[in-house]
Amino acid sequence: MELCLFLGCNTPAIRPDVERAIRATMPELGVDLAEVEGYVCCPAFGSFPSTDDDSHLASSGWNLSIAEAKGLDIMVQCGSCYSSLRMGLDHLAHDDLKLARVNELLELTGRKLECKTAVRHVSEILYNEVGVEKISRTIKKSLEGLHGVIQYPCHTLFPSEIVGFEESPRQPKALRVLTEALGATVESYSRELQCCGGAGGFSSSSPAEATAFTKTKLDAIIEETKADFIVVSCITCLMYLDNIQKKLNEAENTDKYNIPVFDYNQLLALCMGFDPKQVASICTIPRNLVIDRL
Amino acid sequence: MDFSESDKDLWKQIYNTKDLLYCLNCSTCLSGCPASHGDPPLLVRNLARMVVFGLEDDLLDDDTPWACVSCSRCEEMCPMDVKPFEMILAIRKWQSANDETRVPPSIVEIYKRGYTQSVGTNTKLRKSLGLPELQTITKMPQMLKLYQQMLMKTPVVSENDYMFNEE
Repeated sequence: MELCLFLGCNTPAIRPDVERAIRATMPELGVDLAEVEGYVCCPAFGSFPSTDDDSHLASSGWNLSIAEAKGLDIMVQCGSCYSSLRMGLDHLAHDDLKLARVNELLELTGRKLECKTAVRHVSEILYNEVGVEKISRTIKKSLEGLHGVIQYPCHTLFPSEIVGFEESPRQPKALRVLTEALGATVESYSRELQCCGGAGGFSSSSPAEATAFTKTKLDAIIEETKADFIVVSCITCLMYLDNIQKKLNEAENTDKYNIPVFDYNQLLALCMGFDPKQVASICTIPRNLVIDRL
Repeated sequence: MDFSESDKDLWKQIYNTKDLLYCLNCSTCLSGCPASHGDPPLLVRNLARMVVFGLEDDLLDDDTPWACVSCSRCEEMCPMDVKPFEMILAIRKWQSANDETRVPPSIVEIYKRGYTQSVGTNTKLRKSLGLPELQTITKMPQMLKLYQQMLMKTPVVSENDYMFNEE
């Protein structure tokens, strides 16, 4: 199958090793990737979706129409991009007036939108289209003996009616099953479904409270599991859970917050034998303990 | 609290859906909400009351809708299907339309280069990782111009056009 890879901004700009991991792994598993030339911001919820319907949905429509013109569905890793595009598409597909207005705006640019393109998350593609059996068969190295915990991206769970793909959004399992397919032991913990806290205005408007909020999650992981790593499938979860551990160590004069964080496709790429320098080199908390075991 | 000057029809301006009127004030929307831990806390339930009661001035001054992390837990869990996350975005939209200082600077960045940050300019790093050059809209001036012309026809950009003019 072929899908348009919607990269968003954080992945290509700040964590391009994740982009490399996605571009390296997906074609090996039968998912070819096409570009979304001239795409714009998803739009991020704090931008046009916070100002008016026209600018919000015209930006969603702009992005969707590029993939639609190619006749391809869109694949996204970033939780916010996924949710914004999916919610934008939902508004447009179920409201003829909004779609007509967006097409009026798009017409000025020579584009149009029929809402034929689906928006899908990379973890859903891996789980439903590729499947764990193919993943197990394809990998050359295993995470056997290592313990992982999962951070599910909220934006892929809620509201399940619009963005969801899990059988039960309140008991998601895709990332767990995908991580087990790499040979790792996946442990549960009490705050598994707690949001990372990294998106939106919370962490900038209440930095101390936001750090304390995420600390409860990391403390639960440390106290309740033998986690060697955290698995995410969202660029915000990845950067936030990685960077905040350094902050916590400095604030508390400790080194106990040292759990490496990986995007799922990075672990997949490492297990497929790709060069760690290319697919998993950018991080705050060192990843050597996991990478050296492979 | 003085309700004598409140605008009973404010909800129609902000979030014109009867969904909101079903709110029981049960607080399910606060459970698991990261920003409910903030200072000041985001109390979605209270915002719903403020909209229904028509407390225009208080609502215009309230910063907490902007602390929302957009996780949409409240949207999922609300037993009355009020769609609280949609309500948060609707309050932000109403604030932006009625107070230009609320218009987020990120939309100016998006207007100027397509993104909230510089994308595709880290060519050296990307090359070292074996990545292709990215076809960003920033590098496609004609396409960027079309996108800007389209945005110029939308309320937030046309009504605040001074923010978007090139120096």
